[in-house]
Amino acid sequence: MGNPMLVRAESALFYATMALYLASMALYFTFFALKRERLGKLAGWALLAGFAAHTGALAVRGVCAGRLPLSNQYEFATSFAWGISLCALIFLWCFRFRALGAFITPVIFLVIGYAALQSREIRSLMPALQSNWLAVHVSTAIIAYGAFGVSFAVSAMYLLRERMEGSAIWREYVPEREKLDLISYRAVALGFLFLTFVIITGAIWAESAWGSYWSWDPKETWALITWFIYAIYLHLRVSRGWHGRAAAIFAAVGFVCVIFTYIGVNTLIPGIHSYA
Amino acid sequence: MRKVRRAARALFSMRAALAILLLLILACVAGSVIPQGEIAAYYESAYPGRAGWLILLLGLDDVFHCAWFAILTAFLCANLLGCNLLRFPALIRRTRTGFTPERCLSRWDGEAQVETAGAPDALFRRMGFGRVRALRDGEGRECRYAVRNRIGAWGAWLTHLGMLIVILGFALGQMFAVSYSVYGVPGQTKAVGDTGYELTIDDFEVGLRDDETVEQYTARLTLTDTRSGNRTSGEASVNHPLKRFGMKLYQNSTGWAADVRVWRGEELTQQAVLCAGEQLAVEDMEGLVLAFNAFYPDYATDASGAPYTASSRLNNPAYLYTLYYQGRVLGMNALPAGERITVEDCSIAFDAPRSYTLIQIKRDPFTWLAGVGGGVLLLALFVAFYLRTEELWAVRREDGSWAVAGRSAKGGALFQEKLKRLAKQTGRPKE
Ligand code: HEM
Repeated sequence: MGNPMLVRAESALFYATMALYLASMALYFTFFALKRERLGKLAGWALLAGFAAHTGALAVRGVCAGRLPLSNQYEFATSFAWGISLCALIFLWCFRFRALGAFITPVIFLVIGYAALQSREIRSLMPALQSNWLAVHVSTAIIAYGAFGVSFAVSAMYLLRERMEGSAIWREYVPEREKLDLISYRAVALGFLFLTFVIITGAIWAESAWGSYWSWDPKETWALITWFIYAIYLHLRVSRGWHGRAAAIFAAVGFVCVIFTYIGVNTLIPGIHSYA
Repeated sequence: MRKVRRAARALFSMRAALAILLLLILACVAGSVIPQGEIAAYYESAYPGRAGWLILLLGLDDVFHCAWFAILTAFLCANLLGCNLLRFPALIRRTRTGFTPERCLSRWDGEAQVETAGAPDALFRRMGFGRVRALRDGEGRECRYAVRNRIGAWGAWLTHLGMLIVILGFALGQMFAVSYSVYGVPGQTKAVGDTGYELTIDDFEVGLRDDETVEQYTARLTLTDTRSGNRTSGEASVNHPLKRFGMKLYQNSTGWAADVRVWRGEELTQQAVLCAGEQLAVEDMEGLVLAFNAFYPDYATDASGAPYTASSRLNNPAYLYTLYYQGRVLGMNALPAGERITVEDCSIAFDAPRSYTLIQIKRDPFTWLAGVGGGVLLLALFVAFYLRTEELWAVRREDGSWAVAGRSAKGGALFQEKLKRLAKQTGRPKE
């Protein structure tokens, strides 16, 4: 299915995206290791170019399939990587700290690498998947997961910052822990708000497709587990004696749950969502 | 009394909340990893040693409907409610009288601070404060004060309220929702459980795309209230349930059905519509049961002889059946269309294969409540995260420069940074 020229264009854009993300990651690493500001700047541009190519690839696929490209493992994986890129760019721009790039690009690259391993065949949608609510549900999931990806990277920096107190590079390029904690919190807040929206729109879709808005399907249950983990994170931040390190650990664990909800549940636990 | 109060504090504490959330997470993990709702023998054989026994003992075979899960959820609700009740008076006080210039103007230590050479009105605007009050303090100095997003203090409180409403709506739904299913082929009318309604399947259509994948399943239905005789018709398709008489009718699934005829000699003695998966007791021959196992519209067999259907078109229809007599298997075969199964002078044939539809009929009078809860939850989270309460105040010093200070709930170092950056950008920070 799909116009062969468009299929080829999508493929070319997809590989260009991968190459640009890889270049961005390499540049961020070198910048961070050698303290070369210019390389850091270049890495940012490579990420932006990768994001533009990625947007192009998704748009072409959308045109090819005649719908939003959000319906199978490949489409969701590549959109997931797109969401992390988008959130990474937003956070890089808002908080102006380049070192974040060195931690977030590997996550983006891993997710898009996973997408590259999936079948790219465009298939028609089964009736239950033809729903506007479902389209909203999955689009918002991309933003939520993207924001959690950023919080994972920032929390990892927080946890490493403790050990790297002596390193001049860390002192120069990575903000103090208090600020890292706040940035991670902003990312989790964005992700949590969107995840709540994802769960609610998913429930609305389930109600119209299956007749029940909550049926403890494994994917639903894991989305709820992820939501609870981030709720714990939010509470740890306001509890005396627990904020900081414990909260950062929860933010990191939360992202592992996000990945499990997305990949693990489909492959390890069967359920209504197994086709997604 | 003191003990009661202490117990209440402990129960409604953040620590208790975290413990409950952790336990809920464990329950959810168990409920998603262990297959739910199987028979006891399954767990005993699938899980080695005492694991199966433990699963059954702890109710992990049906976690989400077992007593301890309900108790845990009740604890969560009590905790949410208690926490909200305990904090309510303080929140009211804070919103009413917590944000005043007097409080701020006497408070400078530990707050984010900058100095500007001239009046800081532009800085106030850039920081997002629309309404700025100009006033004088006790010493007659010129001052500015602004506050924004006072509602932000209510974010967490409203989030907890939203959560409570969702759980209440869901729990009431679990208690009072009813669900029935009716399946059949066009032309059939069946009772909808004990509701007094009857459902007629007027038509059922499987819409195919050019590549033979299914685009949509559509059923035309008539619902009749047998008590009043009122009837109403409409269409239900996947993702588009039909709403009638306070019920929702869902096009849930489909399968194959066929007419089955039984003859004694040449005399037709029995006739029925059988859906794949159903059985028919042959009336004329006691103990003889026909099971219609599956239907293949385009029957073929693979290399190992296993049957499959080559396409979804009716090119070479075949009916897979099993025949039982007195509980024992008498025969099993794939019967081509037009042929008969013969047992003594009795013969049976399948005919007119067509799709049947399974319609699910649901009534949950509390879905709206869970929906309201969800809406409150979303709005509340927005309030909690994005309407951060912030205050900014300034005093004019004797030398004409201004000292500006501010505070932001949850803004911390980032707020301070923004204040410094904008003070620089608005022009005249004091040298
Ligand atoms: C699933 C259940 C719960 C959810 C989803 C939830 C959600 C939230 C959220 C989103 C916040 C705001 C955090 C922030 O602004 O950074 C919050 C704050 C808070 N929650 Fe919960 N919560 C839950 C259960 C509870 C329970 C049971 C308690 C009882 C002790 C509790 C106590 C608090 C407190 C004390 C705050 C801080 C309030 C503030 O900073 O103004 N939460 N909660």
